[in-house]
Amino acid sequence: MKIFAIAKKELQTYFFSPVAYLVFASFLLVVGYLFWVVLVSSKLASLEPLLYNAAFVLLLVSPVLTMRLISEERRAGTMELLLTSPISPSEIVIGKFLACFILYLILIILTFQYPLIMSFYADKLDMGPIMSGYIGLILLGAAFISLGLFASSLCENQMIAAMLSFGGMLCFWIFGWAKYALDNAFGEILGKLSLFERYSEFIKGVVDSGNVLFFVVFIVLWLFMATRVVESDRWR
Amino acid sequence: MIEMKNVTKYYGNYRALDDVSFSVQAGEVLGLLGPNGAGKTTAMRILTCFLPASSGSVSVDGFDVFDDSMEVRRRLGYLPETPPVYPEMTVRSYLKFVADIREVPSNDCNRRVDAVIERAGLVDHQQRVIGTLSKGYRQRVGLAQALVHDPAVLILDEPTVGLDPNQIIEIRNLIRDLAKDHTVILSTHILSEVSMTCKRVVIINEGRIVAEDSVENLERQGGAATTFRIGLRPASLDWKSCLSGIDGVKIESEHTDGPIVRFTMSLPTHAAYDAVFHSVVGKGHVFTEITPSRASLEEVFLRLTRSEENGNGGGNGSGSSATEGGNAA
Repeated sequence: MKIFAIAKKELQTYFFSPVAYLVFASFLLVVGYLFWVVLVSSKLASLEPLLYNAAFVLLLVSPVLTMRLISEERRAGTMELLLTSPISPSEIVIGKFLACFILYLILIILTFQYPLIMSFYADKLDMGPIMSGYIGLILLGAAFISLGLFASSLCENQMIAAMLSFGGMLCFWIFGWAKYALDNAFGEILGKLSLFERYSEFIKGVVDSGNVLFFVVFIVLWLFMATRVVESDRWR
Repeated sequence: MIEMKNVTKYYGNYRALDDVSFSVQAGEVLGLLGPNGAGKTTAMRILTCFLPASSGSVSVDGFDVFDDSMEVRRRLGYLPETPPVYPEMTVRSYLKFVADIREVPSNDCNRRVDAVIERAGLVDHQQRVIGTLSKGYRQRVGLAQALVHDPAVLILDEPTVGLDPNQIIEIRNLIRDLAKDHTVILSTHILSEVSMTCKRVVIINEGRIVAEDSVENLERQGGAATTFRIGLRPASLDWKSCLSGIDGVKIESEHTDGPIVRFTMSLPTHAAYDAVFHSVVGKGHVFTEITPSRASLEEVFLRLTRSEENGNGGGNGSGSSATEGGNAA
């Protein structure tokens, strides 16, 4: 129950401040514009470009959603309230993750308009890759949120948290490029760590259990690390 | 109810608390008094399970703060130095949130929130966004937050700091009201606050307890050595020589104000007062002013905390060291 109390409070905070609305507006505006440009120029009834673009825009906006989650508690001194309440650090972290994830799901549901628009004009829309692509997008978003949450747990300053999470995400995004530069085992391993490489398999219509597992482990790992950092607050 | 035993706390190499022990009975109001940076906040943070002690043990209602931290936290209401509020939330939604994380049963939640809003005098402000409230009202929200789960023990860190005189009186009345059915520990560096709200006082200086006693006893000690503001007339007579004959009399900041000479006089013991009076009047002087220059509790406090600074007060942890410190000054 306490997890939901935290989640509810965070969701309230998102909607009390302009953050949620701004992120929604800018995300939908940019993705919608790219959807139109690509559709008109290619005349293909495929959601593939849209899903790539959505992931890229997400890379830019998700730090805005996660940066204040823990750093702000620390700056405002409300961490003292949380850590002297009968609530464990893992409940705090999971509650905050849930809030951000729910907000993200709302954003994703709002993008359902694009395949819907497409279905009016296409003779026969191939739903398979769209579904798998959306599964990938949701997992990717959750991965970004957990990494951002960890970054936020490290500092008191929101801007630093945002930069840290953006840098971290970008690293996991471009690790895959090493595969083409290094023709050895090291390049192979970096390629395996790449969120982008795995995400593109979802877009192509493949829901590989290894890829799903990778995302789940990735999410749990960063959430666990964030929990440890929150716990360590009392030892500083 | 609360037992703190030989607690020492280091921040890196800095020793913030040194072998601090005290206990509080159920229903008692204890004042934690000390200058800024004495370790009051650190002691409270250890008590509320926010910080671990480097050594020593603390228990609340029989539960250790380290081993049974969750049980301790359920029994505590804590108001930190700055009220831990979320500026973008309304008073009511904030208190509901605190009630949720403080494990108030959900069917009881609205009733509890209403009760603390009433008690903290926030009825007209419950729909306001906390960020728009004044400091005094934020402090009330902080107090309401500490009360919402009806804890047995209340820990208030400088509850009146930064408030205007009217608000201070209101908050003090509220605390006195709360003291009827709660165990309260309250920290402050304002002495009058202690004598108004607390029965017993622990004075901390530089991480050590320099005195622990009831307010009355400490005030009585304060009567032993005193400082007076004196006015004498006429200034032309030789008043200085008749005072210098008496042992231990110290004259400070003398100046002549027309026919009147004014100075501050410290006496070692109360008995010397008679000698001074007779000697001065015997020379033909007239007193125009005799004012004890400090409230007695304040005197004790200054004596204890200053003697520590001079390195004389070797006493740690017991009430008896209060008298040693007094003689050294």
